Amino acid sequence: MSQSPMETPFGTQEAFHAAFAELYPRLVSYSRRYGATFPEDIAQEAFVILMQREERVEHPTAFLYGTVRTLSLTERRPMKNQNLSLESVTEPGLAGGADDQVLNQEVRERMRSLSPTFREALWLFVVEGLSIREIADILGIPEATVKTRIHRAKAQLKEQLNPSGGLHALV
Amino acid sequence: MPWSDPARRFEPAEDVQLRAELRDLLGLGPVAALRPSEPSAELTALADDLRREAQRRSRTERKRPTWGLLAAAALPLLAALAGLGTWGFQQKHRADGLAAQAQRQEQALTQLASAHASEVAKERQAKEQVQQELQLASRKGSRRAEPYLVIPVEKPLKVMGDDYQRVKQKPQ
Repeated sequence: MSQSPMETPFGTQEAFHAAFAELYPRLVSYSRRYGATFPEDIAQEAFVILMQREERVEHPTAFLYGTVRTLSLTERRPMKNQNLSLESVTEPGLAGGADDQVLNQEVRERMRSLSPTFREALWLFVVEGLSIREIADILGIPEATVKTRIHRAKAQLKEQLNPSGGLHALV
Repeated sequence: MPWSDPARRFEPAEDVQLRAELRDLLGLGPVAALRPSEPSAELTALADDLRREAQRRSRTERKRPTWGLLAAAALPLLAALAGLGTWGFQQKHRADGLAAQAQRQEQALTQLASAHASEVAKERQAKEQVQQELQLASRKGSRRAEPYLVIPVEKPLKVMGDDYQRVKQKPQ
């Protein structure tokens, strides 16, 4: 199904402006977390690619996040860091921006203590507020895998908060 | 409906609860209410620029003739396959003709062999019959008949002295 020239992936013109204002800073921040040199360019390119598509995109937000992720990793390809995941490429001083405004130091420390694979899914689910299905689209993995990663991240977080495994409650 | 409205995409209650638990674990607190703020003029202008850029690219970018390209790429292959098919068909036709010819020859040879065999059988039968007749005849005229074959020889008019050869010596 194709969209008419006046229609945007987010609906009306006003809805598109609102979505852009809300998503653009988040996408720039998301791209920066992957260590992109030009995160603004990547976020803008993602929007252009989305609107250039003749076919209607079912989840435009997920499409934008996925495109930003791919473009950011592609930008890093000459540095041969393709296997790096979210935050594993981010140095404490490099990343941040909008995230640092959202997350305080303690939360950031907790996130960093998680394994990169779980952290990526957790970030998209909790901080970006994306659904399981959208995260699965972005990461290109099954929904069940996303759920597993989030639950394991949750277990790791609980382990951090209660390293003795609840034994202290018996003492 | 705003794009970030949770109702825009269906999410099960357990996922919403899981997100709330995780936010609690991370110390993020509950999800903040949506801010229906007016987008800034700068961001609106940027959004419009990007949209125009997308339209420009859609107009100017050469559309890839996917099917035409595939057809063009497959044309030599198809031609080769067609040629191979024709050659194979011809070969099969030729092989069928040769097989039919060989079968005909085999049939002719079989007929010839059977005719020859029947002829031989007839000859054998005739020979046996003649032999039986000869045996019968020899039994009937065994007393008169000579036990050996007599070859008539024209005798010379005058017997020469050395016109004979002794074949047996005289008994002593």
